Amino acid sequence: MVVYNFKKIAAVPTAGDMVDIVLTRTQRKTPTVVHPGYKISRIRSFYMRKVKFTQQTIQERLGGIVEDFPRLNDIHPFYADLMNILYDRDHYKLALGQINTAKGLIDSLARDYIRLLKYGDSLYRCKQLKRAALGRMCTIIKRQKAAFAYLEEVRKHLSRLPALDPHTRTLLVTGYPNVGKSSFMNKVTRANVDVQPYAFTTKSLFVGHMDHRYLRWQVIDTPGILDHPLEQRNTIEMQSVTALAHLQCAVLYFIDISEQCGFTVAQQVGLFKSIKPLFANKQLVIVVNKVDQQPFETLDPEKKAMVEELGKSSNCELMTMSNVTEEGVMDVKSRACDKLLQARVDQRVVGKKVNDVMNRLQVFQPQARDGEVREAFIPDSVREAKARGEIGSKDHKPKMGRGGYAVTTDDVNGDVNMERRKTERDIMWEMGGPGVYSMDYRKNYLLNNDDYKFDVIPEIMDGKNIADFVDPDIELKLAALEEEEDARIAEKEAAGMGEEEESDLDSDEEAAVKAIREKKAILRQKKQDNRKNTAVMPRSVRGRKKDKHDNAMLDKNNVKKTLESLGVEADGIVERGRERGRKRSRKDADEDGMDVEPVDTSGMSNKELKRHKREEKSKERRSVSIARSHSKVREPSQQGLKDDAMKKVATKKDMLSKRRFEGMSGEGDQRKTVHLVKWMNTGKKRNGTHNKR
Amino acid sequence: MSHLALPPFPHPAKLRTTPQHEHMERHRKLHGRRMDAEERERKKEARSVHKKAQFAQKVTGIRAKLYNEKRFKEKAAMRKTIAEHNERGNKHANDDAVADGAVPAYLLDREGVSRAKVLSNTVKQKRKEKAGKWDVPIPKVKPVADDEMFKVLKTGTKRNKAWKRMVTKVTFVGDNYTRKAPKYERFIRPTGLRFKKAHITHPELKATFHLDIIGVKKNPSSTLYTNLGVITKGTVIEVNVSDLGLVTTSGKVVWGKFAQVTNNPELDGCINGVLLV
Repeated sequence: MVVYNFKKIAAVPTAGDMVDIVLTRTQRKTPTVVHPGYKISRIRSFYMRKVKFTQQTIQERLGGIVEDFPRLNDIHPFYADLMNILYDRDHYKLALGQINTAKGLIDSLARDYIRLLKYGDSLYRCKQLKRAALGRMCTIIKRQKAAFAYLEEVRKHLSRLPALDPHTRTLLVTGYPNVGKSSFMNKVTRANVDVQPYAFTTKSLFVGHMDHRYLRWQVIDTPGILDHPLEQRNTIEMQSVTALAHLQCAVLYFIDISEQCGFTVAQQVGLFKSIKPLFANKQLVIVVNKVDQQPFETLDPEKKAMVEELGKSSNCELMTMSNVTEEGVMDVKSRACDKLLQARVDQRVVGKKVNDVMNRLQVFQPQARDGEVREAFIPDSVREAKARGEIGSKDHKPKMGRGGYAVTTDDVNGDVNMERRKTERDIMWEMGGPGVYSMDYRKNYLLNNDDYKFDVIPEIMDGKNIADFVDPDIELKLAALEEEEDARIAEKEAAGMGEEEESDLDSDEEAAVKAIREKKAILRQKKQDNRKNTAVMPRSVRGRKKDKHDNAMLDKNNVKKTLESLGVEADGIVERGRERGRKRSRKDADEDGMDVEPVDTSGMSNKELKRHKREEKSKERRSVSIARSHSKVREPSQQGLKDDAMKKVATKKDMLSKRRFEGMSGEGDQRKTVHLVKWMNTGKKRNGTHNKR
Repeated sequence: MSHLALPPFPHPAKLRTTPQHEHMERHRKLHGRRMDAEERERKKEARSVHKKAQFAQKVTGIRAKLYNEKRFKEKAAMRKTIAEHNERGNKHANDDAVADGAVPAYLLDREGVSRAKVLSNTVKQKRKEKAGKWDVPIPKVKPVADDEMFKVLKTGTKRNKAWKRMVTKVTFVGDNYTRKAPKYERFIRPTGLRFKKAHITHPELKATFHLDIIGVKKNPSSTLYTNLGVITKGTVIEVNVSDLGLVTTSGKVVWGKFAQVTNNPELDGCINGVLLV
């Protein structure tokens, strides 16, 4: 089924905008930098691309417009005719045709210019050709200014047309202006059509929807029509005529018998007769409207006869109705719907397709094999309820349980004798409300024997019943044991009453012990307070060195104070510490070891003095060499190195070899750079031959 | 493009039918507008000038170019209309004003007439006639050098011969032209640059027609070019004007007429010219 939705047509830009759109797109989407130094083939392709791209863009845009707008030959004749009336078929086709032609012209133009560009021998010439090409394309677009403007207006109007399905079940309301068509529409649907007390309030077709017999119906409100020849009808009336001519629907012809619309009954009957050909093959209902103003029975007999004759001659029904009192509105609606539905079904049955459906529908009635009556099974409870009138009747509304809520007048006035099932909720409220009472689900268990319902369910673990492993006397035994324990404790307490432990310390010593214990407790506490959440390295591992850093601890006054507070004689210790802290020098060692007397040089001759000095010097040197003569084990890394200089060089080399490349992003950067990259440094270096350098 | 004989496109907004979904109008009809709607509109209109000026200052790039071009045109149009309106109120100097007071007798008949203009017109006319037949719209053209006109084509197996030339400008080649054998073909006129039609403007009718070219009468740069049928700016070509329905004084239908090319066809991709009448 084709769905007529004209809302999706894209907006048509004005000619000026179209030129801007096309040219900016070319500017944005094609390369913009070109130099006279480039190879001529490159320059040519640069400009060819621009021309081609512009042509493609225009083709897309214009093609989109031509595609978007509906083709009058393809759409439902109702829409084709409506568009003809509203927008003029010739103009519509001409506009689309012109745009299509423009598209073709631009294509051939682009082809010509691309051919010319192939012979372009300089950047200037190529550029001029491109300029000429784009200019001529834009000129062609600009010539379509009027067509663009027209199509945009058509699009706007078209998108606001009601979404009317020409194939579905439809009621169509027609008649003279101001006879109550729109009011009827507002009564049966929610379309909310404007109703005013002057003619031609409704200027176009309006669509509303309603439900009848669980089906969706559309109701079309048409502008009023006057009784004159087709050629003289204006656009507004022609819309009604189009709808009447092309839609398969039930027609409601409205006649205002009160003549308040300004047209006499005779005129309205005349109109009916003149547009009668349009009612052929349609389900027609003549609606005599405004009977609140002028009841049909008391109508002037002449007019009455005229109207009745109308009904008879056209073989259709005559119904009376009033929008004000809503009298007959629903009857008219349902009658028209039923007639149309019947007609549609009949049409289907006549047609060929019906066989396919009929083959699928089969109703079987099994043959009776005996005289036994097999009726539908109705439970007794339902039967009883029906007898009481609780269910089954049309107006039945089940009584709702209102347990738990405040009593209302409904409950009081309600059926006192109402036998309502007692629900769990009621029980809950009887037993004290939520939180106090909780429902026992066990009573609803479905078991073979109702006695089982409240039985305790054994607890099973690893396929064994736990209860089997429980000593039935365990409670008793436990009680006996506890009793015995209590007795023993009581006995012991009675025995030790009034006695204390002996201590062999005197009072002073006891005080000291107490003090020490207190102090220990304090220290422990302090340590716990200072403790950080780190592993403590034992002294055996960390050595004394660490402690030495704490000068305060090693300060002799502190040491003395601490030790004395502990009751230790500290003087000797401090002295010993001082001695040990003093450095030992070679001279000390000499003094300690061999006592060398200083030689008195005062009485020496010059010669002797010189000799003495020489001896002294050599002695000194020897002392150094003696020290070196002790074999000193060197580190493995320094073995085989002659002297300090060599060692220094070796160390430096070692350090350099160990130093790693560290990239910009830290030690994790493992990049290896290459000093000379081949592709960057070989080949020609003319303009535009490389992307990177 | 063929235009059918139809009136201009109707404006559907003028149709008195309003479709079902005109929400804005419906809302206005139901609820009216706000009390200060007109005032707001007036103010918006008054402010729009400043808004536009601000935007014109702010906008950059291609949008700025386009916008300012549009704005310039609008302003120019506005200035023109203002000037037109002012025209009515302006006071003009009266050319043929009669001098105040007494005028000598020999000056009386000269009043208000500018003889000088008449004289100059006649002189011009005479000069024009003298100038002869070939007084054309573009009397002087820049000569086209051979190396600009021709591209040297290398031939021979080793590509060492250079006697062949290719024309790089637009040419006209007759219908019945057949190329010579490659050995003897010195000048090549590429098919892509051959033109058969030209846009010729009739200077008196002020109308342009797309006419067939019959031949190249003269290329001012060189006779060689004329023989080759090269069309450059200033070239005189013969065009088929039979569609125009021109007749000679004796009543014969004119079908061939000369026209001068006014543009550079190789740059514009088309030939534009003026009919020589």
